[in-house]
Amino acid sequence: MKKILSLILIALITFGMFSCSGSDKDKVVIAQQFGLGYAPLVVMKEMQLIEKYYPNAKIEWAQLGSGGAIREAMAAGQVDVGSMGVPPFLIAWAKEYDYKVMSPLCEMPLGMQTNNPDIKSLKDIKPGMKIATPSPGSIQHILLSMASKKELGDAKALDKNVIAMAHPDAASALINKVEIDAHFTSPPYIFKELDAEGIHQVVDANEAFGGPFTFLVTAATGKFKNRNPELFGAVEKALKEAIGIMENDPGSVADIVAPTLKLDTETYLKYCNWPGVKFDTNLRGALKFLDFMNKAGYVNRQTDNISDFMW
Amino acid sequence: MLTGKLITSVISCGRDRSLMLNNQRSEKIKSTATKVSFLVALFLLWEFLPTWTQSDKIIPPFHEVIKAFWVNLWTGDLLKHVGYSLELIFTGIAIGILLAFVLTALCIISKRFNDVMDVVISIMHPLPGIALLPVVMLLAGLGAKSIVIIIIHSILWPLIVNALAGFNSIPKIQTELGKNLGMKGLKLIWLVMIPNAFPYILSGIKIAWARSWRALVSAEMVFGASGMIGGLGWYIYKTRFFMDVSGMFAGLISVIIIGMVVDELVLKSIERNTVQKWGMSV
Repeated sequence: MKKILSLILIALITFGMFSCSGSDKDKVVIAQQFGLGYAPLVVMKEMQLIEKYYPNAKIEWAQLGSGGAIREAMAAGQVDVGSMGVPPFLIAWAKEYDYKVMSPLCEMPLGMQTNNPDIKSLKDIKPGMKIATPSPGSIQHILLSMASKKELGDAKALDKNVIAMAHPDAASALINKVEIDAHFTSPPYIFKELDAEGIHQVVDANEAFGGPFTFLVTAATGKFKNRNPELFGAVEKALKEAIGIMENDPGSVADIVAPTLKLDTETYLKYCNWPGVKFDTNLRGALKFLDFMNKAGYVNRQTDNISDFMW
Repeated sequence: MLTGKLITSVISCGRDRSLMLNNQRSEKIKSTATKVSFLVALFLLWEFLPTWTQSDKIIPPFHEVIKAFWVNLWTGDLLKHVGYSLELIFTGIAIGILLAFVLTALCIISKRFNDVMDVVISIMHPLPGIALLPVVMLLAGLGAKSIVIIIIHSILWPLIVNALAGFNSIPKIQTELGKNLGMKGLKLIWLVMIPNAFPYILSGIKIAWARSWRALVSAEMVFGASGMIGGLGWYIYKTRFFMDVSGMFAGLISVIIIGMVVDELVLKSIERNTVQKWGMSV
């Protein structure tokens, strides 16, 4: 009996750990990520913009492996603010996770490139050919589904060709013509691939989507907003300021941002001014993503009202 | 096998046979009852704790997991994933056992080869298959081939180590006896050496099964190497990214069930019909 009781106790403690999080009012945990689209977060950190609006803020920057891990950490209450692609955000939102968009981050040119001259359109993809995306349910995977719905009539027609591979690995595999036949990716990898020899684009994401769309959003948990609305407001203001800097004057933060992307200043500026790269706080295309994902069966929660998933 | 065991114990201890039988029975009932009530308690905790502590988004209640398991099994792709995983693992195990058999035989025949194998084993045995995966993928590419190689790697060394330990432990008197009875070559190996070494070989196979199963699931997950028609590892990986927590647990349950079924039905029955029947166990 004693043993059973102690087992129950251990289980209770384990479950308890999931449900409690930092109770410090001035503390905020932000997930840090690297990539051109996440540059506003770097600017916000290095220029101490949150402290500008909320001097007592205790900011903790969490390093996590992937967008999936950030989402899980937010669900577990370990991270308050984190960024991800719109479809991954919607997947968890559809599961009624307690978080909403604090601010959109950027629009970017995305697309699928191939190293096989015979592949001119999605119709030329044969069984067994491999298309790399970062993960199932990623924005790249959903855009590929949209393209195959458009061209092949079936959103999941190419799901059997999709494999999961991190951007850098897949880009070098594509450029070196090993392992994979195509790669659906985002900046800066798409720029590197298009610059390389013998690689051409098969799918342009804006064409597949039917217009421009927000690529990344920064989401914040409801727990954080309730705990300290003022700090929430400060983070939001700081983020929007950082987004403005990245859009209007990326050169002024080159020495902060370029090293985190492992780029020299010149390439960094070239990428910032690439057609289609836009740091913007307006949310575009999210409802269309949601509608498509519902119809294709990836999620199961609809809304027509953007405020259902935006703070 | 029960009677066989009993007879030996009856002879050696000289105890009352029916008393033994009763004791064994009640012990067996007690043991089963403990196991079952533990499971029931676990499932009850699993059912109610997540809701009480409001962590049901992270750990869904038990009935939802079972529902997801059931629904995915019949309407989803779970069965296909299970089939794919089993195909990979049995290919790997078959090739692994064959290779282990050949290499062990060579070790027994040639002392020099045994020395070389000693070195190879001490290099390869501690190396986790997952650590080797990037190298294997360079050689064999993404997909099923790489995973099968990882499975073979993860079972080959424990099989050889155990088989060699088994053959080395055969008392000399047994082989001498066999030779005196006129046995030679294959007949000696088949009738004397293999039965004698069998407890070791069997525990090698048990280790091999557990290790290959783990290697398979983790290889599929770490690299998502086998694509969307891939096995159970890929299924769990996929459900993670669609935040389908119930589906994730459904995948885990499938992994557990297959592991248990093979262990209980296949391996234990081999054990009962050989080692235990012959009255030898390690």
